[in-house]
Amino acid sequence: MGKKKSVVLLVIYTLLIAVLCFICTVSFSYGTDNLYTFSSVMRMMEKDADLGLAYGANADAGAYLGGGYSAVYYPEGVISAKEYDDNIRDMSEEDAADYAADYVRYPGENGSVYLEKGVAANEDGTVQDSFKEAFASALSVVTERVAALRVDGARVENTGDYAIRVFLPAMMDGEYSAMTIFSYTGPFDLRCGTDEASAESVFNITSKYSMHDYVSSVRARSSGSAAYVEFDFTDLGRDALAEATAGAAETAVTLYFYVGDTSVISLSVSETYDQNTLYISGSYTAETASAVAAVFSTALDGTEEDLALTAGDAYFHPALYGENTVWMLYIAFGVLFVAMMAFFFIRYRRLGFVHLYTYLLFLFAMILCGWGISFVYLSVESFLAFLLASVLLCVSDAVCFESARKEYALGKTMASSVKTGYKKVFWKLFDLHVVVALIAFLVAAISISALQVAAFVLGLATVFSGVATLAVNRFGWAVMMGTSKKQGAFCNFKREEVEDE
Amino acid sequence: MNNKRLQLLPLWAAISAVIIIAGIVLMALLGFNTALDKPSAKTFDVYYNVVVDLSEGGEDKLKDLCEDAFAEAGISYEQAEVLEGQTAPVSLNQSGFSSTGTDFLLRYTFAGDVSDEKLASAKAAAEAAIDGDEVFLTPAETYVSFDTVTLQPMNEAMWRGAVGVAVAAVVALIYVAIRFGLGCALTGLVACVNDAFLTLAVLAIARIPVYAFAPMLYAAIAAVVSAVLWLVRCMKLRDAAKEPSAGALSAEESVAQVCRETDKTVWLAAGLTLAVVLVAALCTLATGAMPVFAAALLPVAAGLYSSMLLAPALHVKVKAKFDAMKKKHVRYEGKKKAKADAEA
Repeated sequence: MGKKKSVVLLVIYTLLIAVLCFICTVSFSYGTDNLYTFSSVMRMMEKDADLGLAYGANADAGAYLGGGYSAVYYPEGVISAKEYDDNIRDMSEEDAADYAADYVRYPGENGSVYLEKGVAANEDGTVQDSFKEAFASALSVVTERVAALRVDGARVENTGDYAIRVFLPAMMDGEYSAMTIFSYTGPFDLRCGTDEASAESVFNITSKYSMHDYVSSVRARSSGSAAYVEFDFTDLGRDALAEATAGAAETAVTLYFYVGDTSVISLSVSETYDQNTLYISGSYTAETASAVAAVFSTALDGTEEDLALTAGDAYFHPALYGENTVWMLYIAFGVLFVAMMAFFFIRYRRLGFVHLYTYLLFLFAMILCGWGISFVYLSVESFLAFLLASVLLCVSDAVCFESARKEYALGKTMASSVKTGYKKVFWKLFDLHVVVALIAFLVAAISISALQVAAFVLGLATVFSGVATLAVNRFGWAVMMGTSKKQGAFCNFKREEVEDE
Repeated sequence: MNNKRLQLLPLWAAISAVIIIAGIVLMALLGFNTALDKPSAKTFDVYYNVVVDLSEGGEDKLKDLCEDAFAEAGISYEQAEVLEGQTAPVSLNQSGFSSTGTDFLLRYTFAGDVSDEKLASAKAAAEAAIDGDEVFLTPAETYVSFDTVTLQPMNEAMWRGAVGVAVAAVVALIYVAIRFGLGCALTGLVACVNDAFLTLAVLAIARIPVYAFAPMLYAAIAAVVSAVLWLVRCMKLRDAAKEPSAGALSAEESVAQVCRETDKTVWLAAGLTLAVVLVAALCTLATGAMPVFAAALLPVAAGLYSSMLLAPALHVKVKAKFDAMKKKHVRYEGKKKAKADAEA
């Protein structure tokens, strides 16, 4: 490659790296009183519940990526000790005595909840056996719903024996609505009518027929960016629905999908619906559709006796691993980056710049993918996967350099050394990358939540590493070496010394 | 040219078998030590309203009072958080959580074995201190309570991760079989499965605290590291097989020679990975991320163990078997050809 061409390409390459570096890592405020903020891609990248970081123009006002929200579901007959104190504080002495007589503190005088006598507790203050069973069932249903989301970081805790604390990560789409509808309990009911008040149940639940005889399953589906809730009806359910919507062509009716006493979905119908499957899309994302489907799916087994749950005590958790964890990850990356470059510059002198450019391109490609791919986010696991792929790239680059070094030592020209060096290691590095990418993508395809994302990041980074080391690195080498007259010195390569006989 | 470690297959297999069997038994009986996820914990909550309850500097004072109360009760917490109150999630008309702006919760998390009596004593001390301090304007709304919290298990991630690692290892080694031969793939598969199980077994036996999601992450890392390090050997084995002198070497000599030539690369690759993970663990020492990195040293070490000891020793046997089959096949083909020539 001619020197002029090399210089031009090097300038373009450098500008590309500089622009990517600016977009990916630099954040700053500008305008009068720093009214506007330019947030880097790294800053805007989603963080999981374990990490968190303020971002954007409203960073000072609390704009934050990462962390999560928790709320406590109190079953009917249970209130928090704080609520009890708040309620009783301003009552008259007489009212307070009446109120106090209705409740018993659980499990003792320092308990965090009060149980209502006659609902959750017996008159002697002991917990009702029926309440214990109903609570265990409610806890199991809520756990099943949260698990169905398959979201990294989501958790359910039994707190104080008779309350349920749910935690959902802020990176979820619609964590608020999921938290709201997960508290809905009771049986599923499909009602049909011209208005909600006059709507009647479509399915006739008797001792002979249960809801499962009408509805076989409720699932979430997604296709591209569209997500929907799918109701699968049995033939009996299909007939009942067709009968209920028979007059819809003349007078439009609405289908109301109830869980307990709450209408979750209403759907206008203008013709007879006579199919086994009903798809409801609306404005769902994959996660919100999954939450709605989980609620309906568990409600198929619901009964009138299910405990009603009331959501309260909601709090924002900034970062489960500590608020400084993101910065510590960046510092770890910085330390490793400096160590990596020190090795390459010491061993290969100016050839280290080739690796530097290759690595930076790899890094920025990964950052852009982490920001641009909707289900990828920054977590400790994905960071670990990225580090492993970085090791692969560094080792691959070093293998290429060493291979060329050996050829050069034998007395070949630099161009020939690079060509032969690459030729000798190409299929080895190719195999290495294919095997790692295969394992990573297959694990990502089968597993869920944290492992899925980490494995996908490893797979993606491995692909980028392969391209970077086998194509970008070689291109960079050709461009940069073209600017130097002493190519051996540029790479710190030496000829093999032959002893005179 | 012989290498002693290649003759100790029964020893390496016995070490792996003992650890893995003990690990599986412990996994079945006790599971993993998921203490980092706090499966059973106690929380000490102090609810306060910054407008109603506190004057300026009150939040710091509140923390100091709580820490004094804990010191008095002789207990120490594992984690302290300040959580911002949100409007309750009760309406589908609202699109997201919104901060109340005034309600906060100071939450201390204790180990599950901290006694209720000590927490009650800390609660009494904290309440008394709050009541007696003028920083708190209306102490009645600064509320202190403590709870026992039990995490509900969700096992789908665990079994799907296990299936994922198993399927991925098999498929990746089918690729290895195509590129490097069935013998290399079989040894690689054994090494991958061994390392994944070894990692899980050591986690279970040593009761190393991990997050609930993490065991399968480590199994996957073990499979990847194991496959990569074994591939380094496979590449050299393939190159060595192309040498004119390859036919004269026994399986053991051939594997020993390859091991000698690739040991440095394997050590370097594994050492580099260990160093990277270690640096990440050290940099995140004071955070919850540290245990994730620290435990990731284990699968890399497992990969190094099998790549240095188990896999080469096993491959001597596998290669000898495949070489014998190959020779038999060559002899059979030769006889067939001679017979055909004679008939012609």
